[in-house]
Amino acid sequence: MSAMLLNKEKWSDFVGMLAGKNLWAPRESDEGLRFVPVAEGEVPTLDYNNTRVPPKEAVFPQTETLFKFKVGGKDLEEPRPDQDAVLLGVRPCDARAMHIIDELFSWDEDDPYYLKRREKTVLVGLACNEPGLNCFCTSVGGGPVSTEGLDLLMVDLGEKYLLEEVTEKGSALIDEVKELLEEADDNSSKQKDKLADEAAGKIKRSIETEGIPAGLPGLWEDELWQRVSASCIGCGTCTFLCPTCHCFDIQDETEGFEARRCRMWDSCMFREYTLHTSGHNPRPTRSERTRNRINHKYSYYVDKFEVIACVGCGRCINLCPVNIDILDILGQVKEEI
Amino acid sequence: MDLDKLRKTAAEVVAREDVRYLLGWKKGTFGYRIAPGFVEDAESAAELIFSPLCTANLATYLTLTEKPPLPRGQEPDDRKVAVMVKGCDSRAVTQLLIEKGIERESVVIIGCPCPGVVDHELLAEKYPETEETAELKWSDKGFLLLQNGEETEIARDELLAEKCRLCRYPNPVVSDIMVGEPVETWEPDDDQGVAEVEGKNAEVRWEYWQEQFSNCLRCYSCRNVCPLCYCEDCILDRLNPTWIYRSVNFSENTAFNLARAFHLAGRCIECGECERVCPANIPLGKLNRKLAREVREKYGFEPGVDPEAEPFQASYKPDDPEEFIL
Amino acid sequence: MSANYEPNIVAFLCNWCSYAGADLAGTSRVQYPPNIQVIRVMCTGRVNPLYVMNALQQGADGVLVSGCHPGDCHYMEGNYYARRRLGMLKDLLEFVGVDPRRFHMSWVSASEGHKWKEVVEKTVEDAKEAGPFEGFRRRQIDW
Repeated sequence: MSAMLLNKEKWSDFVGMLAGKNLWAPRESDEGLRFVPVAEGEVPTLDYNNTRVPPKEAVFPQTETLFKFKVGGKDLEEPRPDQDAVLLGVRPCDARAMHIIDELFSWDEDDPYYLKRREKTVLVGLACNEPGLNCFCTSVGGGPVSTEGLDLLMVDLGEKYLLEEVTEKGSALIDEVKELLEEADDNSSKQKDKLADEAAGKIKRSIETEGIPAGLPGLWEDELWQRVSASCIGCGTCTFLCPTCHCFDIQDETEGFEARRCRMWDSCMFREYTLHTSGHNPRPTRSERTRNRINHKYSYYVDKFEVIACVGCGRCINLCPVNIDILDILGQVKEEI
Repeated sequence: MDLDKLRKTAAEVVAREDVRYLLGWKKGTFGYRIAPGFVEDAESAAELIFSPLCTANLATYLTLTEKPPLPRGQEPDDRKVAVMVKGCDSRAVTQLLIEKGIERESVVIIGCPCPGVVDHELLAEKYPETEETAELKWSDKGFLLLQNGEETEIARDELLAEKCRLCRYPNPVVSDIMVGEPVETWEPDDDQGVAEVEGKNAEVRWEYWQEQFSNCLRCYSCRNVCPLCYCEDCILDRLNPTWIYRSVNFSENTAFNLARAFHLAGRCIECGECERVCPANIPLGKLNRKLAREVREKYGFEPGVDPEAEPFQASYKPDDPEEFIL
Repeated sequence: MSANYEPNIVAFLCNWCSYAGADLAGTSRVQYPPNIQVIRVMCTGRVNPLYVMNALQQGADGVLVSGCHPGDCHYMEGNYYARRRLGMLKDLLEFVGVDPRRFHMSWVSASEGHKWKEVVEKTVEDAKEAGPFEGFRRRQIDW
């Protein structure tokens, strides 16, 4: 696939040409909290480390209507069809996360809601030149210029962006803005490789994952879980902000005679997540819940899909209110194995 | 703060037979982070610290401990829990005593007079965090930052957390053991955050909060970290009736945030934890402080000060203000 | 807002005083605006502030809570608790920008049919002035 160059001076034109496409990007005024639809005439700057809320919410919204109905009625009404969307400036780790959860959503039964939206969404990635403090993507199979899950990768070369096509959707997008672009030369791809090496070198935190998936089942009853979860307050920060966490709850909501069935993000760190109607809770304390979170990412998912369901974005480390550090837990796991 | 004394005291307390474990602060895994520490033996007491980075209110863990059913024949561990508290944290403990959430005999309170902690976000913004764990100390001018072998003096006003600017109780109001001398109290600032919102007209206020609440992720970290949100069966978790729907949108988020703030009226001790942990940076402190001020000024009640007091919302005075009643 | 806008008001009345007072207003043929939807509770002390919030969420333009005068509570002190709690709720709602005219509380005894009329007139008038309350409604959210 070919690569093109976009001069940064033409950035606003580039955004302008895509304006009709339901463009999403982080907004500077909310301190890069999340990806939001770009307002008309707004030119997003891609000057951010990463959003707090991962872009998974564009394809897997926090609350999503499955169908609507009238109380007492028999007819189901489909939710509004989704628009095509273009996500601008997705970090490689987050795109890789979507690639990983694609497996789950298209596993035994297809999840039409997720897959349809995924198909309609174009992910325009932005390579990391300055990784964050707690990034460890290189330890779990990703990297600052990883293209897994992306349709198009942009690399900031200083004065220009290098645009690399990854999929057909990406090439189609390039074709639409071709007039703003120039052909890339060898020099720019060399520059990209150099930046990628530098970025990878700036990643300070790491974990050697070998042996963890195989070793975790043996630590089921280990007192380690008690130790690492002692300070957990049981909130949903780590899971809601995780780009690969994909659990949801389904509820019926009524308002007068109007009703809908909807699904919303759920977190395995909540007590009610596993609470049975009988009152029995198979994961009664936070230590079982923490064990499940680690096991799901580093063991169960590996068994099923042969990939670790953690992309090393560092959000759970950055935002945990009580400094529960997944790398610290994994380090302790390795010691115990 | 004399750390040796702190650790020695902690070691003595943990060594006591009637103490199960001690809650204290230890260094986190990187940068400026502090992790709550559960100290079970005298040796690990050496890891404890107390510095301007210790924002966490450890009183939360007094009520957070889970009590799953025990196997038949096994006795519950009823030994005491020791907890290190700053001024604001001690008010949380007192408020728990007022509400009979804990029993006085079940805790050993180690008071740490606190000259004021820092705003972590501000600190990381002005002095970027690194992967090395850094140290911050109180100094004559304010704070002394020790990072990667370098020392930086920082003025107190530059980094002091908002809750500390407004603090009226830097010294623990209740304690069994005090570590160090009481600090001199300071004149609290006016609450500009609340005043600013109050100064706007109703429509602008509504828009302001609409914007804030729309960001809410409903991760419940504000509820869970709060030392005074300890209901075993929280109304927000109930499904029958579902008071507040699980869907995340402005209406439900507003109901959730108002319910949370309301449940803390006359109980919030202004430790600022909810605002610190919020991943969406919602200024929850403003809601709490507004209600705390109304409770103080209109009803003359201050939560978490007098352990003998009646809980605010479960008591009344015949002459409570009622000018709003038709 | 159209000139003939009629607000929806939910009123929580205590069984012993205000409900009887409203009943008296009816049997005495006192005329008052029909915008009120009455929900009878045993005591104003039973009114959870979430009731008020839920009413606003479900489409009420105003909420009224009415009970016995201080000292007259059938359960001795229920209305004293209500006064504290709902007073705080009123402050909170006002702080987040809900028009204070949307939430009222009153003391109406079983013999005050005429006071009930005045209270309802005031509540309805206030809610009319404040206009329809769309801000907080569940239904407006596009499902």
